[in-house]
Amino acid sequence: MLEINNLIFRWPGQTDATLNIPKLEVAAGERVFLHGPSGSGKSTLLGLLSGISKPESGHIRLLDTDLANLSDAARDKFRADHIGTIFQNFNLLPYLSPIENVMLGCNFSKLRTQRVSASGNTLTQQAQQLLHALGLSPEIMSRSVSQLSIGQQQRVAAARAFIGQPELIIADEPTSALDADNRNTFIELLFQQASQYGATILFVSHDNSLAPLFDKQLSLVEINEVNQ
Amino acid sequence: MRLVTLATKSMLNRKASVLLTLFTIAISVMLLLSIERVRQEAKSSFSNTVSGTDLIVGARSGDIQLLLSSVFRIGHANNSVSWASYQDIKAQRGVSWAIPISLGDSHKGHAVLGTDSAYFTHFRYGKKQNLAFAAGRAFVNAQEVVLGSEVASKMHYRLGQQIVISHGMGNTSFHHHDDNPMTIVGILAPTGTPVDKTVHVPLAAIEAMHSQPKSAPRMIGKPKQSTDHDDTHEHNHSHDHGHADEHKHNGSHDHADEHGHNDDHGHTDEHNHGHEQPDTVAVAVPAPAHLHGDLIGEPKQITAFLMGLDSPLYTLQIRRNINNYKAEPLLAIMPGVTLRELWRMLGLVEKILLLFSGVVVLISLLGMLTTLLATLNQRRRELAILRSVGARPRHIFTLMSSEAILITAAGCALGIALFYALIALAQGTLQSQFGISLSISLLSHYELMLIGVIMAAGTLMGILPATRAYFYSLSDGMSIKL
Repeated sequence: MLEINNLIFRWPGQTDATLNIPKLEVAAGERVFLHGPSGSGKSTLLGLLSGISKPESGHIRLLDTDLANLSDAARDKFRADHIGTIFQNFNLLPYLSPIENVMLGCNFSKLRTQRVSASGNTLTQQAQQLLHALGLSPEIMSRSVSQLSIGQQQRVAAARAFIGQPELIIADEPTSALDADNRNTFIELLFQQASQYGATILFVSHDNSLAPLFDKQLSLVEINEVNQ
Repeated sequence: MRLVTLATKSMLNRKASVLLTLFTIAISVMLLLSIERVRQEAKSSFSNTVSGTDLIVGARSGDIQLLLSSVFRIGHANNSVSWASYQDIKAQRGVSWAIPISLGDSHKGHAVLGTDSAYFTHFRYGKKQNLAFAAGRAFVNAQEVVLGSEVASKMHYRLGQQIVISHGMGNTSFHHHDDNPMTIVGILAPTGTPVDKTVHVPLAAIEAMHSQPKSAPRMIGKPKQSTDHDDTHEHNHSHDHGHADEHKHNGSHDHADEHGHNDDHGHTDEHNHGHEQPDTVAVAVPAPAHLHGDLIGEPKQITAFLMGLDSPLYTLQIRRNINNYKAEPLLAIMPGVTLRELWRMLGLVEKILLLFSGVVVLISLLGMLTTLLATLNQRRRELAILRSVGARPRHIFTLMSSEAILITAAGCALGIALFYALIALAQGTLQSQFGISLSISLLSHYELMLIGVIMAAGTLMGILPATRAYFYSLSDGMSIKL
């Protein structure tokens, strides 16, 4: 599913490489915990995985596509089609309703829109179903985003990541603003959704206490040879 | 959801700054359209000041100088045309009518124009309209005066009132012909031309003012006195401020001496006759036959004259003849041609106005640019979120530039609405105060072109924040920097 070989990345103007990852493999459907303290190159790695930036050398194979060989526009399209993202917090657009926020990604991906319509649902129905599955009542769905609690906002963000069934879900510290109870519930819900169609989850956090919940644990400090 | 919808929703989320920007643009658009509309209308009413006149003839000076003095009552014609030349040219073949005009006097800052009855029948303005009376009638003798609409309304003059004409231009003429009060018999309808600001008197009255023999004071201004007694009563019947003014003036200046006439005597005379009839607001009725007198007198010279020809084909021929007139050096101009020449000279002012309103629009667009750039930093999170859900940099670019286009378009639309509201409000005032008639008509080709230019400029302005957003989204990627 995901395979990294001899990846080297350097920010423009810097002499030292930020990332040097000889090898990293993730199988389809795996739930991976990536431990990355701040400054370990976590954001850079996520940028590379999602195709925002391009490696200096090496390969990133995602779904049998080598991102390093794709053009900028093609990588953007690849991300829109195959990757769902959840951020730390504040990652909803405040001027859209929760349902519109969920549907947002489909604006930029025909593939995901097609997948939704293949399931026989309209985008709105699909968004409502996802929000419902993630535990949000219809009453909350019609509220303004700013009136939602952080936990509720993160569920909306998760629904947005899952709509159209992207193969890879990248979650970047999505639980850091949640309390312990909510944190575990949220991760449970993520797993539930992912298992429905076999999505791979790459969960990045500095909080090692969450690691046991996952199939596989990686430490960026260990896999990135720059830091050693 | 389309990108435009997204841009609209995003802007609605920032109502305050967007609305302010929008209003700035709307007001500048309104200003530009209004200034341009007024400018165009001013231009057309300017060229409407005289029409149907084929030639204006005066002493040899400059074309524009002659036009300014004869039509706009601006400046001073130093030389004049002899009455004999006027008579001669008027009698020539092909001349349909001629209006003599004699300028140089004033009444409380309003130009006094001496002419004859041809003025009221042949003078035309605008789209070949004749002069019309709002009240009263044309003068029929040398003691009667016809006012332009603005003179009457500004000075609060009524029909039947008596006024005094002074020699020379301007308000502070020392040389008052105050022994020659004249009765207002007619007030013209507004024309939106210098006619509105003019006091019209018979040529004979001008002549009387200037040629009064010092030895015979009682004859001044009342040449018909001996034959027409009613006339004396007529112009003495009013006891209002016209007389009071006269009085004060006589007290403060050595006027009596200057003119060599007995002030007291004149005054007594007035009182003797002053009870004949009260102020009557005359309606446009023909003057009684016994009031008719000589309007022309025996002038030696006039300032200029307007001519209408039997056929416009004669214009060039007659013009050449006049310009080569043997008896005295004369100049004939075609008013239409000279008006255009004059307007071209005023073109600079016109251009400056356009420049200013253009700059105001530019400033408002720069204001939009500032706002868009200032909020851009705060919007990097929004851009990052959009990037994370798959928006490509070009989407970000489209989103940002469509925002500028939307604001400019809405600003233009609101500006046009405000413009029409302003025209509707200002219509009356502009017509009555400046003689500029504004009509609520659809936007002209030219005005639509202006809107087009503003839209294009707004779009161009939008490119800058859009480009910055584009590069932000390239460098920030999905990482949220706030």
